[in-house]
Amino acid sequence: MCGIAGIMFKNGRTDHETGVALIDMLDGCQHRGPDSTGFALYGEELENELRLRFLVGEGAEADDSVVLIKSALESHNAEIVEDERVGNTYQALVTFDGDLRDFAYAMEHAAPDAKVISIGQSLDIIKDVGGAHDVDDRFNVHDFKGSHGLGHVRLATESDVRPESAHPFWATGFSDVAIVHNGQITNYWKMRRRLEQRGFEFRTDNDSELVAVYLAEKMADGVALRDALKTSIEDLDGTFSFLVSTKDEIGYAKDNLAAKPMVLYENDDLIAIASEEVSLNRLFPGHALNTKEPTPGSYQTWSKST
Amino acid sequence: MVQIDLSDVSVREANELIRKCGEQGEDVDILNPDARHHIGVGLTSPITVNVRGSAGYFCAGLTDAAHFKVESNAGWGLGDNMYTGSVVVGGNASAIAGVAIRGAEIVIRGNMGSRAGQVMKAGTLFCGGNANFMAGYMMYGGRIIILGDSGERVGEDMSAGEIYVGGKIGALGAAAEITDTASDEIDSIREFLDRYEITYTGGFQKVVNNGANLRYAASETQIRSIPFFSFSGKSDYWNPKVQEDIYTKSQIGRYRIRGYGGARQLPHFSDIAFRKDLVMPEAGEDVVSKVEMRIQIGGKHGAKPLDLSMPVMIAPMSFGAISRSTKMAIGMASTLAGIAENTGEGGMSDAQREAATQLVFQCLGGRLGWNIHDMKRANGLEIYISQGAKPGFGGQLMANKVTKELAAIRGIPEGIDLRSPSRHPDILGGDDLLIKIEEFREATGYKVPVSVKLGAGRIRDDIKIAYKGGLDFVELDGMQGSTGAGGSEVMEYVGIPTVAAIIAALDGLEEIGAAGELQIVLMGGIKDGVDAVKALCLGADAVAYGTTTLIAGGCIACMQCHIGNCPVGIATQDPEHEARYHPKVEAHNIHRFLEGVRWQIAALTQALGHDSVKDLCRDDLVALTPETAAITNLPYEPGYRTRNESLQRKAG
Repeated sequence: MCGIAGIMFKNGRTDHETGVALIDMLDGCQHRGPDSTGFALYGEELENELRLRFLVGEGAEADDSVVLIKSALESHNAEIVEDERVGNTYQALVTFDGDLRDFAYAMEHAAPDAKVISIGQSLDIIKDVGGAHDVDDRFNVHDFKGSHGLGHVRLATESDVRPESAHPFWATGFSDVAIVHNGQITNYWKMRRRLEQRGFEFRTDNDSELVAVYLAEKMADGVALRDALKTSIEDLDGTFSFLVSTKDEIGYAKDNLAAKPMVLYENDDLIAIASEEVSLNRLFPGHALNTKEPTPGSYQTWSKST
Repeated sequence: MVQIDLSDVSVREANELIRKCGEQGEDVDILNPDARHHIGVGLTSPITVNVRGSAGYFCAGLTDAAHFKVESNAGWGLGDNMYTGSVVVGGNASAIAGVAIRGAEIVIRGNMGSRAGQVMKAGTLFCGGNANFMAGYMMYGGRIIILGDSGERVGEDMSAGEIYVGGKIGALGAAAEITDTASDEIDSIREFLDRYEITYTGGFQKVVNNGANLRYAASETQIRSIPFFSFSGKSDYWNPKVQEDIYTKSQIGRYRIRGYGGARQLPHFSDIAFRKDLVMPEAGEDVVSKVEMRIQIGGKHGAKPLDLSMPVMIAPMSFGAISRSTKMAIGMASTLAGIAENTGEGGMSDAQREAATQLVFQCLGGRLGWNIHDMKRANGLEIYISQGAKPGFGGQLMANKVTKELAAIRGIPEGIDLRSPSRHPDILGGDDLLIKIEEFREATGYKVPVSVKLGAGRIRDDIKIAYKGGLDFVELDGMQGSTGAGGSEVMEYVGIPTVAAIIAALDGLEEIGAAGELQIVLMGGIKDGVDAVKALCLGADAVAYGTTTLIAGGCIACMQCHIGNCPVGIATQDPEHEARYHPKVEAHNIHRFLEGVRWQIAALTQALGHDSVKDLCRDDLVALTPETAAITNLPYEPGYRTRNESLQRKAG
């Protein structure tokens, strides 16, 4: 019930107008999901620091959450270098060099009313209710410069319109992995229980989070993103088109029935992928593009350094 | 030549302009299309529309006679349901290009996406490059020409038509085989290629239906008729019904198909009673004029709503499942009663249109009989997702009823056991639904309400999608709903009861803060005005009668609707049988029944202390059984059963 978009600039620099590009692409397919909009943005990589973003809400409850988060950070030897409250989120840059998964799970439990949206050295996830421009107004997404990013517009059909149900999803417990997904994973509970038995935690009942954790676990075991995407098509049942990103790569996978749309455009400078061509055309108004529709059961990755 | 720049005007305005140009016979240039959706949708004039760039979803969809040229690419559903006319695409086309076409010529110079030509009936779909998987999926006729490779599972579940492949053939779909190409077919293809200035010197392999899946191997004979009323009676395991069922299956070796509805005991309106001691009207009292019953359905987004003289509609039943005469009679009765009729699957006949003042036109996944001209003369458009008798399944129309005339209207081969697709080619999720609804609205100038029919399964979720999809109203059908033909076990065991369906729907809307914001027309075993009032009390905005109107019009409930030899001329396409049905007489019978319903609704509303049906509420009801109390959350008051019975004795 949604539209997805992704872009990667190929020269490896992190000064591209990634925010503006994603706002345009998502505004182009907002009809697929007018309820909430989200961005996974990859900027310059921080050295020895992590960026954490929490959804804390607003008002006194949010203040309490921030206090609890700060004390949790301290008790895990994460020193705050810089922090900020923006919109309904709390963002902190911290120094940290322990086990990321334990740390991430601890942060999830830091405050009962707060949720981690993203943790990463270059990843920052921004998501909230409203359209692309509404979210931009609150978070200044258009100022964001980076190398690549993903975006998502959501039609909330099975739950209320809440910021925490917005996408993209971070691969809980793994830094810098994000996903946007259009479709439905029908063996969700089976796959989730498999991963839970191996000690992974899930923050939501959303199948997109499952895809993110599934891929991140493979990559943590040293499997290349490309190969993880390949097995995902075999292991996941349902109809899906999803985009995944890491610090250095972006990729897609599409189910065997090709029930969910996806179009891609590539030139020497960039690769852009979206649910509909109308989003890609937003990047090049007035120009007909030589686009490609990925075939059923296909997957592909691009790396920012090549 | 008129130029329309889509960087200046919206697609909606552009389509109005295109249609105006069409009336004046003027060609149109679309500048800066930038892959926007719905370009040219609903155009029925023989003009040329040049799209100077890429088009989005449903370009040239729901059109007749027009010619489109798209310089670059086209999105999903290119030329959707196009009758005559043509589309030429310079680049690639996405999934389901040429879906449901009925005679158009579609030329894609590049590649085409998956499921191209799904449920197409007639015309030519040409692809200069490679096709993606399932080209010709469920096609009923026409031809697909692919110069490149066919892709996997070509011709999956095709019933008829031809697929000519110049390149490699991937795996053949179920029910497809490769056969020889006759020289006159090649000549015809050459003529087509010449006309579109396409150079190709290679040969073709032809893919056709291999004879499978067109008919059930064994037909189900009528062994002996058990009237529905004894068929559905309380029983132990080994009763005549079970015996007959086992015996029939031993002869046909498959699941059974029958008409009518489920016969199991289920929680229903009879398990609900009115809480108050009703004060019945005086003899001869005119209650009808004292109670406000008029209701408008489907106007929430600015379309012209259905104007109902009472909160009652006719449930969708197809011309096909039932005879033309029956559809006429029901249409006339609906007009006499001031309510709305519904075409069901399979198209709209002139007789039906003339008989019913207000007629909702239903669109199913097979797009059988669906077309722009009838859309424009409909008073409502309805997307069928499923029905209560068989949620999740498509319609069935057995060969006996697929006459030459019926086949022509639906665009399918004559004499097949028609199993309509269970899902729409272009509605695979809520996001697709939004774009589809928009296409219907663009095609009809946003003038008619668009509704959805939902069979009661996962209603709590489905109703949310319907609400978010921006539909104007919902027809909700519980498992007591009937059908002209369906799997016997499916009818008995799939779905949820009508009272459970309305509660799930209301709960779903409540959960997303949309209580009262989507009108619901409830159906499925509603048999009189008393049931109607109970449904309205529970929260439905209106009710619809299907089987009830058939019975009022002479149905004897023999359950043999699927055979096509209906003894009273209702569920048949055989002229001899149909001659037994007298539409004018039955129209008055149905109308008299509906007027009885009107009186019952008025009398009960008044007796409950209200002067408008809009004031009916849950507080007026109690549940008589623990099951119904659990389903509806109404107070469990079994004592009302005896009070009701004594009231009825008095009234009797």
